[in-house]
Amino acid sequence: MVVDDHPMWREGVARDLTEAGLEVVATAGNGTDAITRFPAARPDVLVLDLQIPAPNGVAVTAEVVRQDPSVRVLILSASGEQQDVLEAVKAGATGYLVKSASRAELVAAVRRVALGDTVFTPGLAGLVLGEYRRLSDTRGAAATGRDETPRLTERETEVLRLVAMGMSYKQIAERLFLSHRTVQNHVQNTLRKLQLHNRVQLVRYAIEQGLDELDEGPSDRS
Amino acid sequence: MFRALGVLRLVVLLNALGIYLWRFHGYAHSAVGWLVMAALVGWTVFVVWAYAAPHHRRPWLLVADLLVALAAIGVSPYVKGEGLNATLPGFWVMGVVLAWAILWRWVGGLSAAVLVSAADLAVREDFTQRAYGNIFLLVLGGTVVGFLSGLLQQTAAQRDRAERAAAAAEERQRLARVVHDGVLQALALVQRRAPELGPEGVELGRLAGEQEVRLRGLVQQDSRELLAPLGTLDLVQLLAALQTAQVHVAFPGTPATMPAETASEVLSAVESCLSNVRHHVGREAEAWVLLEELGDRWVVSVRDDGPGIPEGRLAASAAEGRLGVQQSIVGRMRDLGGTATVHSSPGQGTEWELEVPRHPERPLVGS
Repeated sequence: MVVDDHPMWREGVARDLTEAGLEVVATAGNGTDAITRFPAARPDVLVLDLQIPAPNGVAVTAEVVRQDPSVRVLILSASGEQQDVLEAVKAGATGYLVKSASRAELVAAVRRVALGDTVFTPGLAGLVLGEYRRLSDTRGAAATGRDETPRLTERETEVLRLVAMGMSYKQIAERLFLSHRTVQNHVQNTLRKLQLHNRVQLVRYAIEQGLDELDEGPSDRS
Repeated sequence: MFRALGVLRLVVLLNALGIYLWRFHGYAHSAVGWLVMAALVGWTVFVVWAYAAPHHRRPWLLVADLLVALAAIGVSPYVKGEGLNATLPGFWVMGVVLAWAILWRWVGGLSAAVLVSAADLAVREDFTQRAYGNIFLLVLGGTVVGFLSGLLQQTAAQRDRAERAAAAAEERQRLARVVHDGVLQALALVQRRAPELGPEGVELGRLAGEQEVRLRGLVQQDSRELLAPLGTLDLVQLLAALQTAQVHVAFPGTPATMPAETASEVLSAVESCLSNVRHHVGREAEAWVLLEELGDRWVVSVRDDGPGIPEGRLAASAAEGRLGVQQSIVGRMRDLGGTATVHSSPGQGTEWELEVPRHPERPLVGS
């Protein structure tokens, strides 16, 4: 499924994917259409532009992942609005590609994401690294509470750094004497922890909001 | 400000009138005194009206205002007769002094206060401590109010500038959205589609790609600009501007704010690394720049996939007296209390690691 508000882009991407032998089950030009068409289309992969008419890509990601945790979301963004990409990744996206990537790169990315791999750009790796450091920062830890702030193992940090420095998984595997698969697992773990943390935060927030309402509103339970 | 002064002038006018009504029975020429008071009332009403409009606040009005005050002081001995201990206008004169102070700052306040005081002293027969106290307060008040008025106007001007800057930033962000939605998308599309047109298309696509990256850098730069406090720069923003089709820059989502000098030195060091890449690996060689923020330091890594620097080559060129790399990268970082290390082996590319302490008073030991 392809979601982009630019018809030219949407059709171009859909055509590239079809020509590569993939099936495009639906397209949408804005967030509302994307969320409405998603349940019927049941795509394996959602190729999503972040800057679409409301609800935006981050919200769409959160919603489709909530409906179907097995769906893979590949962010295809021209903006390089990195902060939004980070939010989308925290909401459950597992891939990020800039729009200037070639067709071959796009098709490869869609295939990899469909298999459960994560597709990283160096830019996204740098952001994720920064996010972990922000969270483990004393101030961040104090704000989010005790010991649940996600932390990277030394190995994961090392792998993520090398991704951020533009090395391919193969190069990293050679350098650290690891298997290609192990490198991929490390990268996936970095994202998984961040997404888990994000979900925990959201649930806590929802509970707090809910409790507040019960406290303040006229309660029919008491 | 002049509205407050208007209220003050009415209050001091009532005060002067009150005192006159209470004491005029003992005055030598109370009939002339009535005329003087009537003139003061008329003049006060006129100036309160005149000062209300900014285009009336001209030198002639202020000079006339002062002359009226001086004249009222001047006729006081004639009206009151022997043994003068207070002039007819009394505290009323402070309105004039404050008007001068507001418009002509501390110089105006001081001059008007001195002139009024001089006139006051000239009509007195003896110099009492009370008179001295009043004069002292008047001179001091005129000067201080003048100074504060200047300060207030500066503050107001600064606020106006800040408001204009904020409005401009908002407009830039709107433009950024427009550019993002249209131009960037089109450029990205050209970059993607053009290579299918053949050899010329490849060149076209490359050009479009470069321009897309530059334009995006410009658009994003502006929204970050406002975050950095005065005298500091955001290294993230500086490094992001280095992004080209060949140079990939990765950084955290939070700004890396540091003293402007530190930031530009680090930037120069990174640029030297990148120019080395172009020089030794090739013009089209790719390079990756990564900025990390650790607890006590910033780390910038620059990597390329080139042939690497043969062992001992840097030391050898330094020994030969060619200080290029040593000076521009290692020296710069050392001056900042940081370090620069290079890892390279033939066939494995080159990696520079530049470290800058976040608290320069505690230089980094090793790395």
